[in-house]
Amino acid sequence: MTAARLRAAIAVLALAGIAVTAYLVYARYTGTRLACTTGGCETVQHSKYAKLAGIPVAVLGLAAYVAVLLSSLSARVEAAAIGAAIALAGLAFAVYLIVIQVAVIDAICQWCLASDGILFLLALVCAERLRRLSKTATERQA
Amino acid sequence: MRALVNNRLALFGAVGVVAVGIAVALIVVSVVGSGDKKQSAPTVPTATARGTTVPAKVPGAAAAAGLFRGIPQRLNQLGNASAPVTMIEFADLQCPFCRDYTLNALPAIVKEYVRPGKVKLVFGGISFIGPDSETALRAVYAAGLQNRLWNFADLLYRNQGEENSGWVTDGLLRAVGRSIPGLDVDAMMAARQSEEVDAAIAAMRQQAQNAQVDSTPTFFAGKTGGTLQQVAVNALTPEAFRPTLDALTK
Repeated sequence: MTAARLRAAIAVLALAGIAVTAYLVYARYTGTRLACTTGGCETVQHSKYAKLAGIPVAVLGLAAYVAVLLSSLSARVEAAAIGAAIALAGLAFAVYLIVIQVAVIDAICQWCLASDGILFLLALVCAERLRRLSKTATERQA
Repeated sequence: MRALVNNRLALFGAVGVVAVGIAVALIVVSVVGSGDKKQSAPTVPTATARGTTVPAKVPGAAAAAGLFRGIPQRLNQLGNASAPVTMIEFADLQCPFCRDYTLNALPAIVKEYVRPGKVKLVFGGISFIGPDSETALRAVYAAGLQNRLWNFADLLYRNQGEENSGWVTDGLLRAVGRSIPGLDVDAMMAARQSEEVDAAIAAMRQQAQNAQVDSTPTFFAGKTGGTLQQVAVNALTPEAFRPTLDALTK
């Protein structure tokens, strides 16, 4: 996959993440009931783990996806590094939230799982992009 | 940054350190923020406004969590939303017979009919015994806004006090809330006077009046979406409910 395609893949995944998290943010602030087949979305979204220092986790997720999307607009290795760091951090936090859903809240939010899946792919693609760009930079220096 | 870009190993290391640092910070904030700010030691009693004491958590938390684990809840409903049979219990949280039903019959009903998806239960909370009934009911419906009504009601029954003795204190309600994993206790306490809770209580009161309910517990069951018929029970045991539920679910 070319560098341009990797950036396009990151942009598409980030846009998908933005769509999911924007829906969660919209539902939270308008009081709209979430479309949910697991029956656990509302439970998770209203639990005490749905906020971080008073900020809804969905808002933080939305901000993270926007940041990764912006990083894909630049061809610089620094942008790739920032995008990869955000995606990997998001993935690690997502794993923690899955554990909380299963072991503590006892409810599963399908929208959160959708976002987790997107984050997993995003982390892989961002890491690959960083690997390739850094390799090119190193070769150029040599 | 330029030096990092020119050194692949250092670059990957820096990205990894930053990612781990952000993730750890987020997790720490989440863990600290989800703890109860008003009570850090779970076993230390806390003074209530009435001068009595309640523990930071209440007995029965594990049993209640186990009973409802994995079963969908939505406001005052328990079980699969498309279950073919619905049973509603009109109950007052101060009523000792409602407590007996919850502790003696409900676990078997949940296990045999609700968990397999055959029956969904509706908690028809009403208040007619006294002020504590209304106080408890508001808290229970507020927990229902977080889909934890059944856990909350179960724990209140397990820790039921003498009728109209003022046993439903804010301290007890917080302790019950703290005993339910994931429940946002502050949000629950704040939601007790919300329009949603007002509407839920008013709707159930109207439903009880329409059904001419004059005592608790009173049960109605039937095919979901159809007319529910009163369930005549001579005891608050699982055996008393099985004939009706078996006939409806066969």
